[in-house]
Amino acid sequence: MIEVAGLKKKFKLTKDHKKNKIDDIDPREDKDYFHSVRDVSFSCAKGEVLGLLGPNGAGKTTTLRMISTALKPDEGSITIAGNDIVKKPLLGRKSIGFLSGSTGLYGRLTVKENIEYFAKLHGMSKSDIASRCDELFTLLDMHKFVDKRAENLSTGMKQKANIARAVVHRPAVVVLDEPTTGLDIMTTQTVIQFIKGLKAQGTPVIFSTHHLDEVALLCDRVAVINEGISCFDGTVDEFKQAGNSDELNQAFMNILTEKHDV
Amino acid sequence: MFEVFKKELRELLRDKKTLLFVVALPVAIFPLLFAVMAFISSQAAMDAEQKVNTYAIINGEYAQEFTDKVFYHKSFELYKGTKTFNNIEELKAGVIAGDIDMGIYLPSHAEQTLDKGEQSQWQVVFNDSKSINFLFERVKELAKEYSDVLQTQKLISFGIEESVQKSILNPIEVIKVDTADKRENLGEKIGGFLPYLLIPLVLMGATYPAIDLGAGEKERGTLETLLLTPITRTELVLGKFITLLTTSIASTTITVLSMGCWIALALAFADLDFIKAAFSTLAVTDLLMIFVLLLPVAAIFSALALAISIYARTFKEAQNYMAPLSMGVFFPIIISIMPNMELTAKTAFIPVTNVALAIKEIVKGTVDYTFVGLIFLATAIIAAGLLAFCVKWFNREDVLFR
Repeated sequence: MIEVAGLKKKFKLTKDHKKNKIDDIDPREDKDYFHSVRDVSFSCAKGEVLGLLGPNGAGKTTTLRMISTALKPDEGSITIAGNDIVKKPLLGRKSIGFLSGSTGLYGRLTVKENIEYFAKLHGMSKSDIASRCDELFTLLDMHKFVDKRAENLSTGMKQKANIARAVVHRPAVVVLDEPTTGLDIMTTQTVIQFIKGLKAQGTPVIFSTHHLDEVALLCDRVAVINEGISCFDGTVDEFKQAGNSDELNQAFMNILTEKHDV
Repeated sequence: MFEVFKKELRELLRDKKTLLFVVALPVAIFPLLFAVMAFISSQAAMDAEQKVNTYAIINGEYAQEFTDKVFYHKSFELYKGTKTFNNIEELKAGVIAGDIDMGIYLPSHAEQTLDKGEQSQWQVVFNDSKSINFLFERVKELAKEYSDVLQTQKLISFGIEESVQKSILNPIEVIKVDTADKRENLGEKIGGFLPYLLIPLVLMGATYPAIDLGAGEKERGTLETLLLTPITRTELVLGKFITLLTTSIASTTITVLSMGCWIALALAFADLDFIKAAFSTLAVTDLLMIFVLLLPVAAIFSALALAISIYARTFKEAQNYMAPLSMGVFFPIIISIMPNMELTAKTAFIPVTNVALAIKEIVKGTVDYTFVGLIFLATAIIAAGLLAFCVKWFNREDVLFR
């Protein structure tokens, strides 16, 4: 179970940002700071998949980066199984598996070396690494290319390797930031199957996406962020209800418009 | 930390570009370049020395003894062409046209001037823009010999005997009594040159891999995943820092060893007394001391390069930031060879300059060991400070996620 409550994060504006400011006034911008996340809260229970939605620049990536402990929130809490990972980031890192569309691998290392490296950094023992790697390679059908250097892999192979890297330490929560962006249909299917597998194992998954068909296929819950503020958190059915439409795209648009008008 | 170090080293060893910069360049290319440069310059000097230059002389009959000296000199050959040279302008035109290499103009009243006891001015026309030119020096030397003869004759005609002429012309002669031994003399020359070679190599050994370890991680998209592992930022920085320290020291050691091998090889095939004398003065303990002093310098460069690299967003940006550092490293070395610059309690605290000065003193064999300790301590403190800064830098979100 992961609970996110009252997250806030602002970034200091650089001179370049101020100079290149667009005329449209962004309500999140003051003189010196850009308030990327202003108030975000949601939760995801064991075995649930939560889709994090929002337009570009809404604060989804910043939120996920805070959950993954890469960024420290200015305010708010993130708790995994009762532990506040804002206060104990090292504990958080042990509990979270993170994957994004732009995540890379070490090109000059083989797939196996890449995964073993991260497993070692997570403090896993040699025998545990060997058995876990074998398990993941079988699960993701990777045995054919595990000894190939990552720089020589196809996009699909790379994404499989990335998935294995993200979950090698058996994380309690998996966070995915637009994991299917820029991927072909085959590779997208691999990611979708992976998420389904995690769900079946009872691992909570939070993933941000712009593809609402993926939400329909995978999600139990939906959280919507707009201009850094949570504007919806509930089940998929509640989402449709709140958006006055059975079509997810339309419901999403309605929720955003309604909140904007308010 | 050790896992980070092991992985970084493994990756670097598989990178052809890193191997080129850290191993191939020092082992083969640098010594090869030096050898080619030395060969070309010595060949050019030899060619210039052996070349026979064509000359023309105007009014040579007024100083027949000098004219004969030039005529019989092995480096000069009298112009035998059809052109005639009657004045200085024609000599200039002849040199420009390439008919002659040199023209000597003696004034027509040279003999009378000398008889009257006045100074006679002779002109030598030649192209001085050539990098290696022995012409003027040789003519000056011949003129000096002739001038000395005339001087002696003149003084005798004034009633001054040859035996006392010396005391009149040079009443005082200053004789140099050098207390510097052979090693000190050679050390002054080589010791000033060594930091120019070693210190930039230490920097080069750190900068290229640093770009890969910092900005490279950002560009590949691996930094974020690395930051999400349960190791502290201090461990992460230390792992990367030790990798850079290793490559930096390895690059320098490889270069020095490779140059040593090449020099030994050159000495086996050629009689290079100066090089033999210069390097025979260096003991193993001296080399070890230089190595120990370079360690904290390598640490300073590694920490600086890592901090710069992690700030950069891309590989290219990091390369742009490294350029001023590469240029800047020469300034403290230049300071060390400035006149009156010595290793003192004050200069021992100037980073890089202190090590350059100490290397010179070590090679000369005049180093004060208290200063070596002081330099090591001062440089190590700066390196530790920079490393602490690097750790702090790695904790800043505005640096990592620019």
